[in-house]
Amino acid sequence: MIKSESEKSIENVCDLNYLTEMMGGKKHLIRGIMDTFLKQVPEELQSINEAITKKDYAVIKNFAHTMKSSVSIMGITVLAPVLQEMEDLGSTSGDIEKIKKLNQKLNLICKQAIEEIEIEKYLYV
Amino acid sequence: MNKKNQINIFIVEDNKVFTQALKADIETAFMNMPLKINSFVTGETCMQKFKEEKPQVVILDYHLNSRYPDAADGIKVLDWIKKENYETNVIMLTGDDHIDIALKSFHHGASDYVVKTDSKFRKINFSLLNLFKMMEAKSNVRKYKRLAFVLFLAIAILVGGITAIQIFSSSLLK
Repeated sequence: MIKSESEKSIENVCDLNYLTEMMGGKKHLIRGIMDTFLKQVPEELQSINEAITKKDYAVIKNFAHTMKSSVSIMGITVLAPVLQEMEDLGSTSGDIEKIKKLNQKLNLICKQAIEEIEIEKYLYV
Repeated sequence: MNKKNQINIFIVEDNKVFTQALKADIETAFMNMPLKINSFVTGETCMQKFKEEKPQVVILDYHLNSRYPDAADGIKVLDWIKKENYETNVIMLTGDDHIDIALKSFHHGASDYVVKTDSKFRKINFSLLNLFKMMEAKSNVRKYKRLAFVLFLAIAILVGGITAIQIFSSSLLK
């Protein structure tokens, strides 16, 4: 069945099956990783936002690179190509307008992911 | 925990989410083994502790300067580790699947090289398992060498004793 745009927008961006399987279902470990993610990702986004303002391509590249690991653990697969493109554009000092558009998408998806994890983490007490 | 048999592992990685997940995954996968895992965000902080503890295994990220631009990169830290203790096994981690990075890592003394793909944790555990087997084999070789030396010494003393008895008993009989 083809989903409408509004249905797609309320789909979860996180898939925590990988994390749960990896941690053998141990709730305290999953909760710990979620807490670290919730603290770390806003800092990473802020660093990228500042780097875009300063056109600091090296920082854009480095943070896009490191964020790939964090988001993959939370199963946010939709961000993998976004971050890869940002990293590539950062390493070649590419089109800053393109980077800004990708960053908007990154912020939007991360915001949704953070909201999902904020709710989900109470299941892992 | 028996400190003598304990396997000391250092993780050097600037992404705390990744480190935490990796640490928990290793502890879950090798739950029956006496492991002690320390983690560090830079090579510089790792080396302070490294000199004291001389860990058997270091899992080292190739890119260590995302968050800390002045931090040494993975290859430099690998060189420090090998200079300090050549016996330490280093598993190099990287997000880039480039053959030149792999070759560079091996050239500088890394034992293995793992690309951070979706199956990274399984690959790291497999690499660790191989290293643990190798460490056990090396320990057995040392044990058997010691045993062989003790046996050789015992036989030498026995043969020497018998020869001495034969010499002295024949001269006494005369």
